[in-house]
Amino acid sequence: MNLSWLRFDRRKAELDAELDAHRRMVIADRIARGESPAEAEAAVSRELGNLPLAKDVARDTWGWVRLERPAQDFRYAVRQMRRSPGFTVTVIGTLALGITAAAAMFTVVDHVLLQPTSYREPARLVSLHESDGARQWDVPWPDLRQWIEQSHSFQQIAFSTGLGGRNYLESGHAAMEINGASVSANLFDTLGMKPQLGRGFVPESPTYASKNAGLIVLSDVVWKQAFGSDPHILGETVRINDTPYTVAGVMPPGFQYPAVTTVGPHAWVWVSYQLGPRDNGRDWNSDRLHVIARLLPGLTVARAHADMAAIQNRITAALTDPEERKQASQVSIQRYDSTLVQADLRKALLALLAASGILWLIAAVNVTNLLLARSTARQREIAMRGALGAGRGRIVQQMLVEGLVFSLSAAVLGAALAFTSVRLLGHEMSLRLPIPVPATPDSSILLALLGLTTLTAVLSSAWPAWIAARSPIEPALRQGGMQSGVGRGHHRIRGGLVSLEIALSLTLLVACGLLLRTLYSLRHVPLGYRTDHIVVAHLDIPSFRFVHRDMTQQLYLPLLERAQHLPGVQAAGLISMVPLGNTFVIHFEMQLNSNTRIVSYMKAATPDVQKVFGFKMAAGRFFNDQDTANSQPVVVVNEAFARLYSPDKNNPNEIIGAKLLNMRSTPAIIVGILDDAHQGTAVAQPSQPEADIDIRQLTPDVTFYNALEGIAMDLALRTSRPALEMTPNLRQILRGASPELASANITTMDEIVEDSWASQRLAAHLLEIFGASALFLCVAGLYGLLAYVVTQRTREMGVRIALGATRGNLLWLILRQAGFLLIVGVIAGSALAFASARLLRGFLYGVQAHDGWTLTVAALALFFSGILAAYLPARRAARVEPMQALRAE
Amino acid sequence: MAKPKEEEYRNRIELLQGTLDMLILQTLQWGSQHGYGISQALRTRSGDVLQVETGSLYPALHRMERHKWIAAEWRMTEQNQRARFYRITAEGRRQLARDRSRWSTMAAAIASILEA
Repeated sequence: MNLSWLRFDRRKAELDAELDAHRRMVIADRIARGESPAEAEAAVSRELGNLPLAKDVARDTWGWVRLERPAQDFRYAVRQMRRSPGFTVTVIGTLALGITAAAAMFTVVDHVLLQPTSYREPARLVSLHESDGARQWDVPWPDLRQWIEQSHSFQQIAFSTGLGGRNYLESGHAAMEINGASVSANLFDTLGMKPQLGRGFVPESPTYASKNAGLIVLSDVVWKQAFGSDPHILGETVRINDTPYTVAGVMPPGFQYPAVTTVGPHAWVWVSYQLGPRDNGRDWNSDRLHVIARLLPGLTVARAHADMAAIQNRITAALTDPEERKQASQVSIQRYDSTLVQADLRKALLALLAASGILWLIAAVNVTNLLLARSTARQREIAMRGALGAGRGRIVQQMLVEGLVFSLSAAVLGAALAFTSVRLLGHEMSLRLPIPVPATPDSSILLALLGLTTLTAVLSSAWPAWIAARSPIEPALRQGGMQSGVGRGHHRIRGGLVSLEIALSLTLLVACGLLLRTLYSLRHVPLGYRTDHIVVAHLDIPSFRFVHRDMTQQLYLPLLERAQHLPGVQAAGLISMVPLGNTFVIHFEMQLNSNTRIVSYMKAATPDVQKVFGFKMAAGRFFNDQDTANSQPVVVVNEAFARLYSPDKNNPNEIIGAKLLNMRSTPAIIVGILDDAHQGTAVAQPSQPEADIDIRQLTPDVTFYNALEGIAMDLALRTSRPALEMTPNLRQILRGASPELASANITTMDEIVEDSWASQRLAAHLLEIFGASALFLCVAGLYGLLAYVVTQRTREMGVRIALGATRGNLLWLILRQAGFLLIVGVIAGSALAFASARLLRGFLYGVQAHDGWTLTVAALALFFSGILAAYLPARRAARVEPMQALRAE
Repeated sequence: MAKPKEEEYRNRIELLQGTLDMLILQTLQWGSQHGYGISQALRTRSGDVLQVETGSLYPALHRMERHKWIAAEWRMTEQNQRARFYRITAEGRRQLARDRSRWSTMAAAIASILEA
């Protein structure tokens, strides 16, 4: 390439010399014929005509110019930008604003929706469940075995199940809490992933005598943190909850399965799943397996579905229990990717992406308008270039290059800002997004950014370029001056663009308004309990330390006792999850009688929790000091539970006294009904059925003991001192109870409530930014247009005043024009907002998607800011001095 | 208003394109020559009717050089002026033959129409 350029330069010099020689020979001839040198020179210049154009055309024949010209245009564009820094900053700033928003949102969408996993060909990975049409379950081994043997749709079928509870890894080097799954030997193969170290599990079909027994594969995180990336780790022994395993491999960085960690740390290990006699059954005792499979190449989900339905019919035909048969009646097959993100989150992210797209569009339209204004101001320059022989295509190309330089600069700035904002919003996002969003660009983001940049350049400068190139040369050269006429059509286009901006801005403002009202409603929902002055510690329970011990007696009650005596503590209680806690929920299901199946949340609590939160009772009593390990087991339910499962549907209170669960040998009795409180994971959710058990009645022989006590527990304290002051003392007693608890997450109930509407808050914050930017841009656009119009019409204004128009008339003239643009924009925007509000519906609470008030307020705000922006140019128009205006030029 | 102008321009180019190439090749038949010399030769031999503009001549020369119909080298003129001389190549002669036969066919055809 370099050499070619050298050759090209040489040929250019040669062409110059050749034409120069021509010129000299003509002059020499003329002098020889008796003309004076000066006459000869003049005659030659006339005769030879446009030499540079001749050179250009000659060079064109070399086929090089296509490369040379963009470079020339680029230099010219940079020179132009430096000559008008104010304009340059405005254009780049405006575009950067649009690109920042769009790039930041795309980064999030890309990581969360487009490529949430790093698996090979993720489109072919599917999750399989058994289903009754409404809900779905993991699969018992007897059914899965038939799937593996009989299906013809999958390249591989792999399965896994969580290790359950809290798991700690110990080795000679260190101990750390880990998350674990036991997986089939072909899982990594199915995902298309290989260990970075070691060979992983030995390939084999599921068997009762596995060669992989006792092998473990570590994630990169565990390898780094617990073993300092020791390259000789293979074959070492590590202990998981005191069971020894041999390291068989380390997975590459970033690999995780399942792709989303819902509970516990992100540090994963995988052990080989061992089939045993219990897997032959399908009762509560046998594992249910999570199935992931790779479709055969080119096979659709629908085809696989037909294949599986036939197999499943044979399986269910052999089942006797009607409930079991119902639960296994269908097979649901979904793309694995799409199971990771809930539908409403997906919708919300797409809505926000659309909002950022709108902001980008507003920015681009604004810049189009600015460039249109400038192309008018540059009419003479462009006409001059045309007169010197620049073709129309050449002028369009040059202006497109200018647009590209603008949008490239804006893209660099915007990308930097976008990644900064992704980093700044990291905390908010981690509360609601299942997949972490690193603030680093990857190939698809860079590609999108490149596309966005090009699109911005084309969108914002194509029109001005076309108009500039099309305008006739002669009038522009003859008339000159700033006030030379531009067509009415041109004004109408610019006016239309401003109205479009106003319409798009209104859409964003309405969306923002709806979310702000949602936040307001959420903050004013009566929760049914107190949230002030409560400190909460989320405890991840190191259950492996208490394997053969009673956690109630040896961990919880002593801890509670010490917490109650901390200075400042008025009441202390334990509850497996505080309301809105979003840490760990336990579902339980049981057959009440032949036609009622109970599905409910379950929690364990101590009596003082009622004092901490001020829970109110609808009927009966909460736990009290008479409830002990040896007394009659009791259960407290909530109103939602009572409404659904009371023996007398019209009188929920009838449920008091009913027997509910079998604890040890005695059935527990419902003794109270809690007032419905917003105890779920989100305020906007209606209350779900809930049944609570007294922690002191939970002994190791109770069925739910491990689930309720062995995984997570919240310690809630009502204090008279600020949370920050409480923390050191609290950590001290937690460390005393068990060393792992010292790192517990300590927060306040107010914060937990605040975090429970994090998604609405995040969306509202983003839309506030988008909406404010949009408002700013469209006000600036309106101001720019009117200021330009006033400058152009100064002479006309002077004439009007000279002919007797009052200044009020002139003010009104400009304001009327602004008002017209605003009204057109607001009307179009209302329609747009009305149509797009549906996207937000899942996000709103306490306000309708088509809320007239919000629309009115947003429209009025926009209208008055617009009129304010129009007032400045209008006043300038009204102050025109007629004599000066007429003399101008 | 702009449209007819544009077409007029295009016609002129089209008329000249084939013929100009042929005339240049013919001129070079008599010996190698520089650009100015070619334009002078065309002018005198046509009895001052044909005046080739530099804007047409040099692009044509460079295009023909690219087609390898002519080759160029720098030499001194009799007036001691350094100039780029063009000479016709074997390929150029073949092209000239083709152009001439096409030209005479066309001229004959036009003549027969006009005289009919």
